[in-house]
Amino acid sequence: MSEFEPKIIGFLCNWCTYTGADLAGTSRLQYPTNLRIIRVMCSSRVNPQFVLKAFQEGADGVLVSGCHPGDCHYLEGNYHARRKLTLLADLIDWMGVDPERLVISWISASEAPKFAEVVTNFSKKIKEMGPQRKFSRGDE
Amino acid sequence: MTEHQTLEKSVRDKAREWLESGDLKYFIGYDKGKYSSKARPAFIYNAEDAESLVVDPTCASNLTRYVVDEVQYKPGRGEKPDTRPVGIVVKPCDSKTLVELMKENILPRERVKIIGLTCRGIVSQEKLEEVLAELPGWDDAGSEFELDDEKLTVSAGGKKKTVAAAGVLAGKCLVCTHHNPLVADEVFGEPVEDPETDEFGDTRDLEEMSQEERWDYWSAELSRCVRCYACRDACPLCYCEQCVFDKYKPFKWNEFSVKLRENLYYQMVRAMHLAGRCVDCGDCERSCPMGIPIRKINRFLLKRAWDRFKTEPGVNIDDPRMFSSYDVGDPEEEIL
Repeated sequence: MSEFEPKIIGFLCNWCTYTGADLAGTSRLQYPTNLRIIRVMCSSRVNPQFVLKAFQEGADGVLVSGCHPGDCHYLEGNYHARRKLTLLADLIDWMGVDPERLVISWISASEAPKFAEVVTNFSKKIKEMGPQRKFSRGDE
Repeated sequence: MTEHQTLEKSVRDKAREWLESGDLKYFIGYDKGKYSSKARPAFIYNAEDAESLVVDPTCASNLTRYVVDEVQYKPGRGEKPDTRPVGIVVKPCDSKTLVELMKENILPRERVKIIGLTCRGIVSQEKLEEVLAELPGWDDAGSEFELDDEKLTVSAGGKKKTVAAAGVLAGKCLVCTHHNPLVADEVFGEPVEDPETDEFGDTRDLEEMSQEERWDYWSAELSRCVRCYACRDACPLCYCEQCVFDKYKPFKWNEFSVKLRENLYYQMVRAMHLAGRCVDCGDCERSCPMGIPIRKINRFLLKRAWDRFKTEPGVNIDDPRMFSSYDVGDPEEEIL
């Protein structure tokens, strides 16, 4: 059996983290290819259902990333995202699913090294944890 | 006259007075159903029918769901909209729902006339049935229930039985913090002092479990869910006209099949939609035919919302709503 390669879905904010990921690319920083990026206009666009749906469709981990608090392009979007997503992370833990599978981070457009570091650490951790089966439809 | 009979008389008189004056569309209260141990919702249109209203510790259901249905009703073609207020009798926990509905601009204040009752708790049907099964010769028809701080008295056919209140009270009443109605036109009943309760004591057993134990607990509970959506339909705050779980176009969020992973998704999304709004009236758990402890999910989010953001739903109409407000200093330890 070949080595387990995790699937990670990344919801990245158009204005900060997506640009940061772009900068990581143009700066030729190395990071794992497990991340599938979905560009959203703001981290507050990420409905908790998106995260759960990603898990259901077989994602082993979900990364939600946006601008630092105070830097939001829409002034206050990430403050709302923070309330929603921290509560969702709590709920995931409460229902007995590994809360480490959801990572929330603030990465600005210039923080390419931080982006590479977050993605590397995250995919290493998921590789150790193994595939996500509690939500996944994958086995049928 | 016992306390409940006094309350019953004042509710009947007030309902009759409102209905006779003609400025009320109808009155929503409880009446005795087929089983006297189970009061059922009643819709009173005529003043003379107000005599059938009852108030006793078996008035469990949250009637505010019917008010939501009333304000969301769309008149048919040629039908004149009738915007007269409806009367309703509420317990303190139900009055919190009304506060939350008014906060969300679903329910205009002038569309309801509210009778608020002070409350010492209601009995749980499951616990009551267990207790009544132990009473020999007990007859369901025509029995009376009387609850005070310590005991529940069941009287039927001249016989009286007393059981400890803590054994029959519904789970939500054991951790209740509001015993007096928060919004009402008329308040009946002696004011009840809010006792010191271990407010979130009922979630502690799960909190102390490890994550794997919690998973075993929830997978056993949620695999029993038959997805009848009774919890959604009973909930007065689940008022979306199109529910995400009924829709399959343009995008199907969830399979309709009854499988653990779909049930888990359903319950988590339902809980997230109620986060910061659920006032813990307990009607989801009461209506669940499979006896799933749904309130435990809602209460956890209620607790976390308080721990993190210091928001409490259903207390004050002027409070900001949790998800449509923010504080710059909200905690964010786990965010990288």
